[in-house]
Amino acid sequence: MKSNRFFFQTAAVLFMAALIFRAATADAASFTASLDRDSITLGETATMSLAFEGGKANNLPTPEVPGLRIVQSGSSQNVSIINGQMTSTVTVTYSVTPQRAGEFTIPALTADVNGQRLSTEPLKLTARKADAPSAAAVNSGSEIAFLKLTLPHEKFYSGQTVIGRVELYLRDDVQNFGNFQFTGTPAEGFSVGKMIEGQRTRTQVGNRVYTVIQLLLPLTAVKSGALTLGPFTASAVVVLPSQNQGGNPFFQMLNQGEQRQVSLATEQLAVQALPLPAENVPADFNGAIGNFSLNVTAGPTNLTVGDPITVRVQISGRGALNAVTLPDQTAWRDFKTFPPTSNVTNTDQFGFQGIKTFEQIVSPLNSDVHELPPFSFSFFNPDDGAYHTLTQPATPLLVHSAGSTPMPVIAGNKNSNAENPASPQDILPIKEDLGTLAQTGTPLIASPKFLAVQGLPVIAFLAAFIWRRRADSLANNPRLRRQRAVAQLVRDGLNDLRRLAAENKPDEFFATLFRLLQEQLGERLDCPASAITENVLDEQPALRGAQAATLAGLRELFQLCNQARYAPVRGSGELNSVAAQFEKTIGELQGVKA
Amino acid sequence: MGYFRSLLRSFKWILASFAALIFAGNLSASDIASDFSAANRFYAQGKFPEAARAYETILQTGATSPALLFNYGNAEFKSGHLGKAIAAYQRAGQLSPRDAELRANLAFARNQVQGVTLRESRWKSWVGALTLNEGAVLTAVLFWLTFGLLIVRQLRPALIPKLKSATRIFAVLAIFSGAVLGLQAANHFSNASAVVVADNVTARSGPFDDAQSAFTARDGAELSVLSRRDDWVQVADATGKTGWLPVKQVEILPGA
Repeated sequence: MKSNRFFFQTAAVLFMAALIFRAATADAASFTASLDRDSITLGETATMSLAFEGGKANNLPTPEVPGLRIVQSGSSQNVSIINGQMTSTVTVTYSVTPQRAGEFTIPALTADVNGQRLSTEPLKLTARKADAPSAAAVNSGSEIAFLKLTLPHEKFYSGQTVIGRVELYLRDDVQNFGNFQFTGTPAEGFSVGKMIEGQRTRTQVGNRVYTVIQLLLPLTAVKSGALTLGPFTASAVVVLPSQNQGGNPFFQMLNQGEQRQVSLATEQLAVQALPLPAENVPADFNGAIGNFSLNVTAGPTNLTVGDPITVRVQISGRGALNAVTLPDQTAWRDFKTFPPTSNVTNTDQFGFQGIKTFEQIVSPLNSDVHELPPFSFSFFNPDDGAYHTLTQPATPLLVHSAGSTPMPVIAGNKNSNAENPASPQDILPIKEDLGTLAQTGTPLIASPKFLAVQGLPVIAFLAAFIWRRRADSLANNPRLRRQRAVAQLVRDGLNDLRRLAAENKPDEFFATLFRLLQEQLGERLDCPASAITENVLDEQPALRGAQAATLAGLRELFQLCNQARYAPVRGSGELNSVAAQFEKTIGELQGVKA
Repeated sequence: MGYFRSLLRSFKWILASFAALIFAGNLSASDIASDFSAANRFYAQGKFPEAARAYETILQTGATSPALLFNYGNAEFKSGHLGKAIAAYQRAGQLSPRDAELRANLAFARNQVQGVTLRESRWKSWVGALTLNEGAVLTAVLFWLTFGLLIVRQLRPALIPKLKSATRIFAVLAIFSGAVLGLQAANHFSNASAVVVADNVTARSGPFDDAQSAFTARDGAELSVLSRRDDWVQVADATGKTGWLPVKQVEILPGA
């Protein structure tokens, strides 16, 4: 059973391998480029496919066309077998988004496929601007979705903020919509605020019912004259009932709908931005437009010269509050003034209504000051087309002379939270000391030298680790320890032998030689050195692995040592030859496995 | 003899070159200090645009210091160039991130910016408390200490029990410091920001003058940089809107 299974698995693998090999060695490769459409509305995205048949591209071409944003969006591989002939196709897809209207040509692309250099044909793509649908088309109900842009007035004042309304109409058969985004909001001469979604309603247009989604847009004309607004263009994906569902309720239940991308455009609106009247302009008018009220408080009112007074000005109402600035108060000439701070609290979602609060620090320059002069604020009200001036009466002050009381100095408190210093009125003064000069350069973290130096402790640690391992290994192995000690003893002993030979001291020479032979053989045979005599050469089985010449050499050395006890005195030359023989024989013995 | 004579000559030449180098360096530093004082005088006289130009001239020599950038930021702020001031403060902050006065002025200037602007996230502010080089040196020191202790443990096993806690503490600190340094480096090298240095700039949907308007930004608005192409830079504002701006309308800063 098992062998059958193995056989089939092997056969399947071989078959697949054969197929892959066949695919890899397929006939001539081809390379084609295609677009899913040749005409597109600005804001839509076309798909370009590069198909490589019979192989993979070594160098994937990256098309670049000015005015087109081309981004690779995916790739897929398709293998098909027709009449036993297998074909492999790799398809790389790109999303192509025009940045402007016009005709574009994607040039011929070249790629190396299976060693062949192949080129595609150039592709043409036309991007056209979206147009608003005609009234007839809207009333006929043929439009799946459309946009409308309306303004409350056709004429308004430069600087006045109005709420524009963009309405998205979706036909009743639209099941869902998504990916709604504006692709163009031309508003030359307008400052456009944040768009907010309003309520959804349903309305009858022609013979169809539409869902209306309101988008509210605060608009402020920043210059006077004839201005145009729009056409606003947008794109969205809507889901419509599938055409293939038929009457079968089962398929209707499974039906996911048909997605369709739609391009939307409003009509262009002509607007007349009126200049502010040139007559009766208050002297302190500084551009505030809207309908406002004023509240001013100041304190403390009993102080000495140089003390700060906090003047709090609250301007509340409807208008472009962000653009409202505090008017210069020419009557405050007896005061040193510091730049004001401000914050806005909005009470509507457009930032169009609320309270703007200014805080300004002023400081009396002398003790002749008896009041904070009246505060005035002027604005233009577009509702009645007239200028208005609001005045707050003077605030009485009691200012004491303080000799040389210093002016308040804004100083940085290094202990305080620097992000929230206590109500600063101005930037802190410049620094007198240049400090340490620095040259801009590569940060240390990107410097190869710095990074290389960081490798040193790692290398040192590895060296210490290896040393420790070897030391531990030696400590736990007495034979190895003895082996090293004897090796050292023999090295030193050899020097002694040469020295004794040179000094012609045969007695000491042969005593040392005998001791060295005992130590080295004792280490090899793992027995005490004192137990070593010439006899061990015949008795010990451990030495049977040694070469006969080595054993003969050892035996001769032992005999020389024995003869030295009664033989006549030998010369230095002979002792040197004995030392050389010892060195050779001991070297061979150290090679014998212990 | 000849050899010693030539050696002496070489030594004298090296000494002379070294002295010339030191002298030239001091001269240059003293020139910069005098230009800096001159620029400070302009500032004190209320000639802010002149002061800004004088500070900028020093900066163009390649020399920089936190105080120089701070004063340059002040001069630009007083000249009404909010964006240039914020950019200068930001550059100074990268050299001296814990300068309270600098942070106060940067916060003050940011408060004057109208419209949408990018706010530094809390973690970036926290990570930016050290300069990148300070972070690198701190991490290197902790790294070396950790490995130093590990080496001592290998050389003197008897000290292992005594060094156990210290090794662990330094190892944890080195890992933590390395992680923060990684965040800093990622922020520095990949999160560039741009400060608008012109009034009411219009970001466009593509890097073309005739591309559609995407959003507008005011002088001083801070934006995050997404990419660059030729003389255009792709930016995103605090609300996530993206658009392309000409490079000359912004000052691009590396991440903190």
